[in-house]
Amino acid sequence: MGFRLKIEGNETISLLETSIEKVQFGADIPHDSNARSTDLGSTMKITGKILAAVSGEAADDTGKIARWSLVPAENSDCYRNVQLDVISASQVVRRIQVPNAFVVDYKEDFTDESGIGVFTLLLKQKKDKMAALKFEGGFSGE
Amino acid sequence: MGFTLKVEGPNEISLGTTSITGVKFGADIPHDSNARSTDLGSTMEITGKILTAVDGDPFDATRQLGLWSLVPAEKADCYRKAEVEVIAASQVVRKYTFSNAFVVDYREDYGDVEGVGTFHLIIKQKKDKTAQITVEGGYSV
Repeated sequence: MGFRLKIEGNETISLLETSIEKVQFGADIPHDSNARSTDLGSTMKITGKILAAVSGEAADDTGKIARWSLVPAENSDCYRNVQLDVISASQVVRRIQVPNAFVVDYKEDFTDESGIGVFTLLLKQKKDKMAALKFEGGFSGE
Repeated sequence: MGFTLKVEGPNEISLGTTSITGVKFGADIPHDSNARSTDLGSTMEITGKILTAVDGDPFDATRQLGLWSLVPAEKADCYRKAEVEVIAASQVVRKYTFSNAFVVDYREDYGDVEGVGTFHLIIKQKKDKTAQITVEGGYSV
């Protein structure tokens, strides 16, 4: 499976199959609810590689994500439109669109034994905008 | 990948690619926030080797890190400017700058089967100065 991530805000961040390794999507609903709760949320966790640019190509966009994670709440740019495509066998298995996503966690990990770094990004949709989250998929297209 | 650490204070602490083995950078944001929180922080973890000077080389600067971790909060000197560079294939992949870094944890580990010690340093940016953190990278050395 391949993953494509596009984040649109003041700048566009784009990460492709070569860098993203794993995506986890989850609904945040209180486990102790006795009936359907109105307290709904959604979280997405994306793990991938931080690649060093060799042979003169441009550096990957992971640095922009690191800077996004530091945007203060006072700045409207802290909310961005995130689209994640899960692609397998020329089929779009999922297209998850989180229109008002904000960062709740961002980590970068480097060691001297590997030639790449690892990033982990945890996103949430702004809770009062949950209805705007789109969860599509099951169509062909590249 | 190689790493360099530079801490500017009363005396400059500089550690190079031979001693640092790992760097972790993280944003500290409350996980239970329903919207973007104003409670932002940032942490960096640096691990590396404590090398013994042989052949009359000067000692490495790890002892200075230990001394920094003991500076009391009353002294301005407990906040220092720290720069970490991550270098791979002649490219600076990341350059993190914490303008007002302070130590939240420092550990040194020695065993009788190793010729080197290991250190583990955790620094944070002073929380009201989070806006002054810079993350650069993607240019050649």
